[in-house]
Amino acid sequence: MASADNGDFVGSVKTAEGEARVERAGKLLSARAKMKLNIGDKLVTGPDGSMGILLRDNTSLSLGPKSELAIDEFLFTPAQSKLSLVARITRGTASYISGKIGRLSPKSVRLETPDATIGIRGTKLLIKVD
Amino acid sequence: MLRWVPIIFPAVLLLAAFAGCGSSTVVLMPDRDGHVGEAVVTNQGGSQILDKPYQATSISGIGSAPTQPALMEQSEIERDFARALAAEPDPPVVFIFYFNVDFSELTPEYLSLLPNVLAAIKKRDSVDISIVGHCDTAGANSYNFLLSKRRAENLAHILTERGVDESTLSISWHGENDPLIKTGDNIFEPRNRRVEITVR
Repeated sequence: MASADNGDFVGSVKTAEGEARVERAGKLLSARAKMKLNIGDKLVTGPDGSMGILLRDNTSLSLGPKSELAIDEFLFTPAQSKLSLVARITRGTASYISGKIGRLSPKSVRLETPDATIGIRGTKLLIKVD
Repeated sequence: MLRWVPIIFPAVLLLAAFAGCGSSTVVLMPDRDGHVGEAVVTNQGGSQILDKPYQATSISGIGSAPTQPALMEQSEIERDFARALAAEPDPPVVFIFYFNVDFSELTPEYLSLLPNVLAAIKKRDSVDISIVGHCDTAGANSYNFLLSKRRAENLAHILTERGVDESTLSISWHGENDPLIKTGDNIFEPRNRRVEITVR
């Protein structure tokens, strides 16, 4: 497949309520719908916050209050079989709905919590880290 | 707003200090179509497979094995995950445009689909729209590669002419190598001569 260069662009914020931030290169940015996300971005919500994002492969991730989730890896070039998604949830609650990477190559998707690794085959998961 | 910043950082550090002492819970859910997949939860202590709806396993520390899967009550799911579930974005919408043999111009039938695409972009406030060109295997691969590129670029041009911000579009093309319907070489297959627009 050929395409215009997508750089580090992994997806965008679709929903944001209350205290919802994106930590990027050590800075906390206020998250809002339409904000574009990059590899390495960490989503952070406060006590009354929540947010939801869609990645370029249609993966959906959303967070409840007091939550943190980082997009550590994202590769989506199906024609070259370059597929990878690694997201790390370090606290709070999250909902994951698989996208094309999960469908084309389930073993290329990994969700991590501080004490376990989750491999997923085309599905929806809820994760809570206390 | 800014005062929140110094408050969150100590909280993050505190959490890092206690990482491994907390606990995690993983719950398998049916997806939007009711389909249930599979999840494998693994750490140094062991591994558990979730393959039934609403099955959950808990982990308390990196060295302790995930617990035997057990059904999680709807009331518990609601209690713990209501906000995360409510924050789920609307699923992306996909539009497929088909083309005549060797043509990169839209047929009138598909031109009439454009208002639906524009409405979806507006409704979703989308900044992430992908336009992917495909073709069938009739003719040379190199030619088809360019044909699918022209089809994708043509649609991108039509969208920007109608006011869609160019920076929200990502255009790509596959040539023959990602057919909707798998065929041998040199086969005319109308369903493979297409451009897929996904609005996220």
